[in-house]
Amino acid sequence: MSNTALHYQDLTLDQEFPPVEHQVTQEVIDRAALAHLDFNPVHTNIEWNTRAQVFGTPKTAGHGMLTMSMMASLIDRQWRSAGATVFRMESKLVKPVKVGTRVRCTGNIRELHPREPGRSYAVVAITATDDEGDTVAVANYAVRVPD
Amino acid sequence: MSAEDIARLKPLATTKKQFDFEWDFRQGVERYETWDEVRVGDSGPGMRTFLVEEEDIVAFNRSCLETDPMYLDAEYARGRGGLWQHPLFVVQVVFYCIDTGIGSWLRSPGARNPGQFIELYEPFVVGETISATITHRDKWIRRGKTYIEDVVDLHNEAGDHKAVWRTRLIIPPTRAELVRYASM
Repeated sequence: MSNTALHYQDLTLDQEFPPVEHQVTQEVIDRAALAHLDFNPVHTNIEWNTRAQVFGTPKTAGHGMLTMSMMASLIDRQWRSAGATVFRMESKLVKPVKVGTRVRCTGNIRELHPREPGRSYAVVAITATDDEGDTVAVANYAVRVPD
Repeated sequence: MSAEDIARLKPLATTKKQFDFEWDFRQGVERYETWDEVRVGDSGPGMRTFLVEEEDIVAFNRSCLETDPMYLDAEYARGRGGLWQHPLFVVQVVFYCIDTGIGSWLRSPGARNPGQFIELYEPFVVGETISATITHRDKWIRRGKTYIEDVVDLHNEAGDHKAVWRTRLIIPPTRAELVRYASM
């Protein structure tokens, strides 16, 4: 999938995107807290987590929305420069991402939606896994693609 | 939030909104909405409006671990069609607008995120002022967990519908349980 010449008519079902991988360190979580303005203690309060253990672990956890942002990056990094735009995101978050986890996002084209000029879109099915190989999130993102 | 937590966060903050916002969601928890008290169908405006500024977009893009200068360098992007905006930027807008008003259950200590639905109609534009309307859409119990969902509609000052986020969390069932989590 070239990012310089992207045309809806060239897309095919099951086309894959290059994976996106990130190590979710405490600094990554802290930056997300500041950017999202989501300062839930489960993300940023290290001491509180040792007591509260919301996810059954004394560790902090990354934001679900951070995982969703990595999933969006899978598409944006490949297609954004060619004018594609993500316009709908639906996710299911199934396992918390503990600090220190390496998250890997993979995805492929699940649906093609031909429309009038300028309105056609693809739905990309995305899976995020952790370094234990467990799925942490699944999602379907709709992307408008140039004709 | 400990002094160590604040010391860790402070050097990473770059925008006016970040410095202006409460960094410890355990503060003021006795005034947050709770699952047992929320009435489905209630609706109201967000506590704040969000003036879209370049620094907000850049900070958000950086947090998404983007490296392309089209995300991070407003000057570079200016002559090339303008700064790219990460699709999840809407998250910052919603947390800012809700603050501690209607929809404040979004800040609940002890909450878990089961998944989300977001639809973007138009990109946010630098200089626009975004307002939020929050509607309590549903609350339910499933496998012993208490779920809640709001619809957050975002409009600019011209009335253009910019985005909708169906915010959904599993939150503590009662105020007593919320306060218990906050005071741990």
